[in-house]
Amino acid sequence: MNPIFRKVSFTQQSFVLNQALSLCWAKPSIQHPVWGGMTAVNERQYKSMPTHGIGRWRHLLLRQKAKKKRDRNVIVQKPIFPATDTAYGTLNVIALGYDMTVVEHYSQYIHNLCHRLGVKAGDSYALPTKTTEVLLMPGQGTKMYLDAVLKTHKRVIQLSSLNAALFPVFMELLLKNQPEGVQLSLQEHTNADYQARFKVRPELQGLMVKINNK
Amino acid sequence: MASRSLFQFVTCFGRSAAGKSVFRQFSGSPVSRERLQTNVLTERASSPWNLAAAVCLQRLPVISQDYTPIEQQFADLMQEMELEKSVVGDHELRLQEDAEKMSRKQAANYDSDEDDDPRHQETILAQDLEDSWELRLKNFQPAPRVRDDVDKDLTTVERCLADSLVLLAEQQVGAAKMWLLPQTQWKEGETLRQTAERALASLPAAGFKATFLGNSPCGVYKYKLPKAIRTEGSIGTKVFFFKAILSKSGPSPAPNASFLWVKKSELQHYLKPAYMMKVDRFILGL
Repeated sequence: MNPIFRKVSFTQQSFVLNQALSLCWAKPSIQHPVWGGMTAVNERQYKSMPTHGIGRWRHLLLRQKAKKKRDRNVIVQKPIFPATDTAYGTLNVIALGYDMTVVEHYSQYIHNLCHRLGVKAGDSYALPTKTTEVLLMPGQGTKMYLDAVLKTHKRVIQLSSLNAALFPVFMELLLKNQPEGVQLSLQEHTNADYQARFKVRPELQGLMVKINNK
Repeated sequence: MASRSLFQFVTCFGRSAAGKSVFRQFSGSPVSRERLQTNVLTERASSPWNLAAAVCLQRLPVISQDYTPIEQQFADLMQEMELEKSVVGDHELRLQEDAEKMSRKQAANYDSDEDDDPRHQETILAQDLEDSWELRLKNFQPAPRVRDDVDKDLTTVERCLADSLVLLAEQQVGAAKMWLLPQTQWKEGETLRQTAERALASLPAAGFKATFLGNSPCGVYKYKLPKAIRTEGSIGTKVFFFKAILSKSGPSPAPNASFLWVKKSELQHYLKPAYMMKVDRFILGL
C-alpha cells in the first residue's frame, strides 16, 4: 500500500511539475514570437521527421539588394538616350499655361498616363515661373497703368523612350484631353535644355574668361 | 521593303481662344529626316493583295464638354468647401480698409493728421477698380458654345465644337460610290504614309492642312474582291489607316462636295458594317 501511495504521489508531483514547467515554457514563446519560419528557442528540432522545417517561408522570398542611399547634394545628369529605329529618344513634354492648378493637373494626368501605357517617364520637373505685367494705356491719359499680372507656369515631363507605334495613340490622347488655356509642346531633350536649368554664376564665368584670355 | 529611320520633330500645339479659329495652332518643323533608302529587291514575294492607304483626318474639340450632372454636383461641392476654407485675399483686405477709412473720414471728430502720411493715400479706391472691372466684363460678349443650326449641318468643320470630328469622303470604289475615309492606291517606291498624304491632298476643292501623327498605321482593313473579278494577281485590297490632326482648312468647299464631318456616334449611319467594325477600333470616342 505504501509504495502505491508513494507512486501515486510521485506521479501527482510529476504531473504538477510538468504543468508548471509547461506554463514557464509558454511564456518564452509569447515574448519571442516565432520569426521567419524559424523555431522558438526552446522547441526541439525533429530533424528526421518529414515535417521538419514546416512553416519556413523566408527562403522563398527574392533577395532584396541593399538600397544605396542617394546623396541629394550631388547632382547627377540623367543620360540622354538617342533615337533608335523603333523608338524616339529622350522627349520633353511641356505644359504651359497661366492657371497653375490646371497646368499641374494636366501634367499629373500625363504622368499617370505614361505609367498606364508603360512609357517610362524619367524626370518631371517645373521650370521657373515667368511673370508678365500687362500695362495698358488709358484713352485720355498718357501714363501707362498696371492692368494685370500674368504668371506663366511650365511643367516638363521627360520620357526616356517612346515606342514609335505607340506614339500616335499617346499623342491623340494628350491632344484630346488638353484643357483650355494650356499649351502642349513636345521637344527633344538636349544638353542645352539641361544646362539652361542651372543658375548663372557670374564670378565663375568671369574667372573662366580670364583664364582663357591668358 | 524600304527601310526608313525615324522622323524627329519639334511640334507645338496651342489651345487658346484666338478669334474665331476652330483649329489649334500647330507648328511643326522636322529637325532631321533621313532620306528613304529604297532597296531594289530583285526577289520580292509578289503578293496578290493591292495596297492602299487611307487617312483618318480628325478635327479636335475646340471647347470642353459640359459637366455631367454628377460632375456638376461635385464641382459645386468643391467650390463651396474651398470658399469656406479660404482666407481673405489682398483685394478684399483693401476693400475693407478703404471702407473703414471712409467711415472714419465721415465721422464727426475726424482729424486728417492722425491718418497715415499723405504719401500713402491712394487716389483710386479698390471699389472703383472693382466697378471698372465689372463694367469691362459686361462689355465682353463670349461666343455661344452650342449653336444648333451649325451643329445640324454635317458638311461644315465648325459643327459640334465640344466633340472630335472625322472626315468622310464619298469615293468610287470598284463600281459603287460609298462613304469612307479618303484613300488612294499605293504606288511603288513610296511609303504608306506618303500615300496617305497623297490621299489627303488629292481630295478635290478643300485644302486641308494636316499633321500626321507618326509613321505607323493605326488600323488595317482588307476586303476581297467578288469572285467574278478575282484574278491570280489580285485577290483583294488591304487598306492601311493613318491618323492625322487637322491644322487648317482652306476655303470652305462647295456645298455639293462630298465631304462630311461626323462624330463617332454618327459614323455607323454612313459606313458599311464590316468597315465600320475595323475603323471603330482606332477612332477614340473622347
